[in-house]
Amino acid sequence: MRKVLFYAPLAAFLALALFLLSGLFSDPRERASAIVDKPLPEFALADLMQPDKIWTAEALKGETYLLNVWGVWCPTCNAELGYLTELREQGVKIVGLYYELPRDPAFDAPFDLSVLQRDVSEKLTQNGNPYQFNILDLDRSLSLDLGVSGAPETFIIDASGIVRAHHIGDINPQVWRAKLAPLYQQWSQP
Amino acid sequence: MRLVLVALFASFSLLAQDIRPFDNEQQRQLFNQLTAELRCPQCQNQNIADSNAIVAVDMREKTYQLVREGKDRAQVLDYMIGRYGDFVHYQPPVNRFTLWLWLAPLLMLVLLLAVGAYRRASKNNDDELAANTPSASELDTLIDRYRSKKP
Repeated sequence: MRKVLFYAPLAAFLALALFLLSGLFSDPRERASAIVDKPLPEFALADLMQPDKIWTAEALKGETYLLNVWGVWCPTCNAELGYLTELREQGVKIVGLYYELPRDPAFDAPFDLSVLQRDVSEKLTQNGNPYQFNILDLDRSLSLDLGVSGAPETFIIDASGIVRAHHIGDINPQVWRAKLAPLYQQWSQP
Repeated sequence: MRLVLVALFASFSLLAQDIRPFDNEQQRQLFNQLTAELRCPQCQNQNIADSNAIVAVDMREKTYQLVREGKDRAQVLDYMIGRYGDFVHYQPPVNRFTLWLWLAPLLMLVLLLAVGAYRRASKNNDDELAANTPSASELDTLIDRYRSKKP
């Protein structure tokens, strides 16, 4: 018993050290998403390039796709455009959810769709265009319903419109291979 | 001069208008309470009242809108937790992951009491041992007796 008590502080210290060590390698941004395994929330938002076209959750059903939240103002989003374009060439369907910045009426110019369309076209010509089309989330209401905390974020949505994965941060070859590709394969199967 | 100053300060207080008008004082308090206890999902350890991240601005607006619609505290919290998860509220619910936050201090207290009890018991044992140990003179007589028995 004495021997056990003698080693108890050392054991407690080692346990604490191991616990804290594991904390060093954990990602503080990694957390369970509230939207996974739930249907894509209802929405009615205009296409970025063809504002007459209104997209709804119903209209997007039928095929597994990636919903990529992005904006031209976001450097990380611009950096991942190239790799996403490669994925598109491999046959992955990617839909853009354009995350527009809020405007301060006292300082910012009023929203001008033609300016935004020009900026987006320029960026997609420069870096590659991974998108089938872009949905304009001007007031970020769909983003709020999806639990988006910033750009870039990517969702995998299956053919019946259920959200199957929620990835916070950019998509690069490592992330795609290790985390998203297996999920995409799994949910693409009919 | 004094009159001018009084007029000046009075005009400041008249100018101090709310950016967000509320129907009543309860709504204002509820809004302030909610924005203080909802956590910004983008920035580590800031509530949505303090943060100016885009998502915090949007959540603040949404909270304001819901409060103006007459939603109570639980409804607004459900709305936000339904979208951003338990992370977004500074008061975690008791579930199988967070149970340890409440159990760990209790376990430590029990362990402390157990160790204290064990030490007290072993100290009593030492005392008993000391009381039963023969003194030096008693030992001397014992040894003498033992030697005298020997041939």
